[in-house]
Amino acid sequence: MTASTIPVAVRRSATTEPALVRWVLIAVALLFMALFLVIPLVAVFAQAFSKGIGYYFHTLAAPNTLSAIKNTSIAAGISVPLNCIFGVAAAWAIAKFDFFGKNILTTLIDIPFCVSPVIAGFVFVLVFGRQGWFGPWLLEHGIRVIFAMPGIVLATMFVTFPFVARELIPLMQSQGRSVEEAARTLGARGWQMFWRVTLPNIKWGLLYGVILCNARALGEFGAVSVVSGHIEGANTMTLEVQALFENYDQTGAFALASVLTFLALMTIVLKEWVERKGTAGFSKRTTL
Amino acid sequence: MSLSRQRKVLPGFRLTLGFTLFYLGLIVLVPVAATFAKLGGLTWAEFSRAVASPVTLAAYRLSFGASFFAALVNAVFGLLVAWVLVRYQFWGKRLMDALVDLPFALPTAVAGITLASLYSENGWIGRWLAPFGIKVSYTSLGVFVALTFIGLPFVVRTVQPVLEDFDLEIEEAAASLGANRFKTFFRVILPMIFPALLTGFALAFARALGEYGSVVFISSNIPFRTQIVPVLIMNKLEQFDYAGATALAVVMLAVSFLLLLAINWLQWWSTRHREQA
Amino acid sequence: MSVEVRNISKKFERDTSALDDVSLKIESGELVALLGPSGSGKTTLLRIIGGLEFPDNPGAQVLFHGSDVTGLPAHKREAGFAFQHYALFRHLTVFENIAFGLRVRPFWKRPREAQIRERVGILLKLIQLEGLAKRFPSQLSGGQRQRVALARALALEPKVLLLDEPFGALDAKVRKELRLWLRTLHEELHVTTLFVTHDQEEALEVAGRVAILREGKIEQIGTPEEIYDHPATPFVYDFLGNVNLFKGRVRDGAVQIGDSKFAAPEMSGDNGFLATAFVRPHDVSVTREPAGPPAFAASILRFHVIGPLAELELKRTDSNETFTAQLSKERFHELNPHPGERVFVELHNVKVFPEDYSI
Repeated sequence: MTASTIPVAVRRSATTEPALVRWVLIAVALLFMALFLVIPLVAVFAQAFSKGIGYYFHTLAAPNTLSAIKNTSIAAGISVPLNCIFGVAAAWAIAKFDFFGKNILTTLIDIPFCVSPVIAGFVFVLVFGRQGWFGPWLLEHGIRVIFAMPGIVLATMFVTFPFVARELIPLMQSQGRSVEEAARTLGARGWQMFWRVTLPNIKWGLLYGVILCNARALGEFGAVSVVSGHIEGANTMTLEVQALFENYDQTGAFALASVLTFLALMTIVLKEWVERKGTAGFSKRTTL
Repeated sequence: MSLSRQRKVLPGFRLTLGFTLFYLGLIVLVPVAATFAKLGGLTWAEFSRAVASPVTLAAYRLSFGASFFAALVNAVFGLLVAWVLVRYQFWGKRLMDALVDLPFALPTAVAGITLASLYSENGWIGRWLAPFGIKVSYTSLGVFVALTFIGLPFVVRTVQPVLEDFDLEIEEAAASLGANRFKTFFRVILPMIFPALLTGFALAFARALGEYGSVVFISSNIPFRTQIVPVLIMNKLEQFDYAGATALAVVMLAVSFLLLLAINWLQWWSTRHREQA
Repeated sequence: MSVEVRNISKKFERDTSALDDVSLKIESGELVALLGPSGSGKTTLLRIIGGLEFPDNPGAQVLFHGSDVTGLPAHKREAGFAFQHYALFRHLTVFENIAFGLRVRPFWKRPREAQIRERVGILLKLIQLEGLAKRFPSQLSGGQRQRVALARALALEPKVLLLDEPFGALDAKVRKELRLWLRTLHEELHVTTLFVTHDQEEALEVAGRVAILREGKIEQIGTPEEIYDHPATPFVYDFLGNVNLFKGRVRDGAVQIGDSKFAAPEMSGDNGFLATAFVRPHDVSVTREPAGPPAFAASILRFHVIGPLAELELKRTDSNETFTAQLSKERFHELNPHPGERVFVELHNVKVFPEDYSI
């Protein structure tokens, strides 16, 4: 019997497809991604610079744009830290203790997540708007919530509410109580235990949640659209993009949009970096 | 064992739970309650007029229809993208993997204006379709495209971890029993990842239903033709028809809630027979 | 159907050879064990036979009943394979798992539904799990799952059955039961069977022939009795059971350990060489009465009783070598030893290998 050579076509394990099939699948996947993701990404920047760099910076330096940037920063600057504190507190209560209604609480925290942004804004109109619960009282005291910054901040807080909690709850649940209990038996006081034991363990999950929370805060549109008055100079960045677009200044709209896109790309890069760092425990691949 | 009698080793229970409930109530529960309270103030006639008028029904049809098909497309292509990312090696794979998150991270308004301009008649993509008579921007097809965009990551990210953890020995077992790759995929792999796929589909569907920013620019928002439910609600708000907006909002909340339950149930069901000892 | 491999070599990334020019022939109907420590290449060899992996060298061959299947992919080889962790299809019932191979046949070869049902029924009876057809794998115990895995492989009436550490993941008691069951099954079905194990007791108990692998090469093949009584190398000797080592010198067909001489017929002709003598603990006899050569003096260090046997740790008086003796409980109680006592030791079945071998 002559020795045979193994056909090259067969030189694969039992768990991969033939090379042709593989390459076709890769090509189709790449085409799909290119169509839906790459082209729009490129288009944002192309459109933004279509009237030259001068126009680009002119748009960014315009008073409306600057105040939009300021407003977005305020909204994010308030929502993210507060929701971060909330996330830690909620995760602590849920992960380290057993109590009646724990599951219900977890589900309630998820509410802003599955609610349409328009409704998220609307519910605040119902509370603080002119016809709302506190409407007359606010009117009396000359406080404007809806159609003003406070409303925008509240709406932003609502939509970014669950992000940190959703990251930390499963993470802290999987970490259990033993480490903290050990710290207690060694005499640590409450805050000591928290700073020295708990926080280091959750730092990557916390950072991840903050990144997602921040990205959503910067990019929220539907909810703030409802509660804002679309008043010039009182817009967030997303609202300003809309204003520019609807006033036929497409290039200007894309210029501002490119800043937001750049921030989104930074978010993705940071997200990848944190995922790589904190491999143990926290849930990667979380949906925003 | 009641809360007060149970000795807690770890501190901070009352503090954190108290703050949690307070904050949750303030930011989430009170506003949502306001909606239901307002609902209570509606007459049945007002409610049904808002919820079942022809304009509304047309909006439901478009919202549910476009969301469903967008989620379906995402289910197929999302599975493909996840498979390719997990199983194969190729240049640019890490980049592709990172880009999947773009629809998550990008503000919906940016996505909205970009898609609107890309698919308009002289847009980069739209100009290729125009000779065939295919119009995307300002039609319901545009709505479908926008919803596909924002739902893309849901299926990929739900299926990816399941594929990554997939036991190759199972595929080897199928091969040893005579199944070629095609049969192995459809009879063994697909059924086993189906729950994750279904969950991804449900998540994409739920997100698409409530989507506003990406759609409002690419759609012409004409009632009866290209108006989705969130836009309809927005319209009612602009006209100060709070009653109508409330009615619709409650319906949408109910649907979202049911979907949330369905997704949780799906995740329970998927682990039912699939745990390893 | 006979199975033969010729000149199989395979390397893995870290440049370590998994298999190094291995050749082996298994006759039709045999039950052969591939035995060896982890990393010896036994699983790799099995997987190459099954078509789940491929050898590196072009001259390698895998032959089923004389015909070359080296190039055939796994799904064309018609070799039944069972995995250590069962690899059952979790989304299918027991019935469907067993029926899988039949259902997956191309439609011109596929049996009718009634035939499938009949065949699966027969197999369920064979593995004694008739009532569990509708259960899912997650509802079965480990032993039950492995039986389903075997039935699944047998459903296609394979010409060769390949088992990869089939009982490795099970409790000791279940392992023993299934070993016996496998032997009975083999006696009934007479399918050529090759199984991989690292448990020498299992190999010696179940197999008709055992091949011992080490670092990608076959050290020895033979019946269990052959390899146990006549190990070819120190590695085989040591792998198959506990061993005592004594240093000595070979002279005139005997090995001299201290002042005692023990017969070493296989070393006749080599004179004056340093050698290591291998003795099994149960071939060491211990007495109180002073005995002449070849018995030598030793003192008892410690002992312990394990179930029906007792182990004594002893130290030679003339050197400081320690060794172990295994006694039956009866003999142990007869002896009634205490630590520090002096006794006399005689060695039987001494096996000698030249000094330059190492375990």
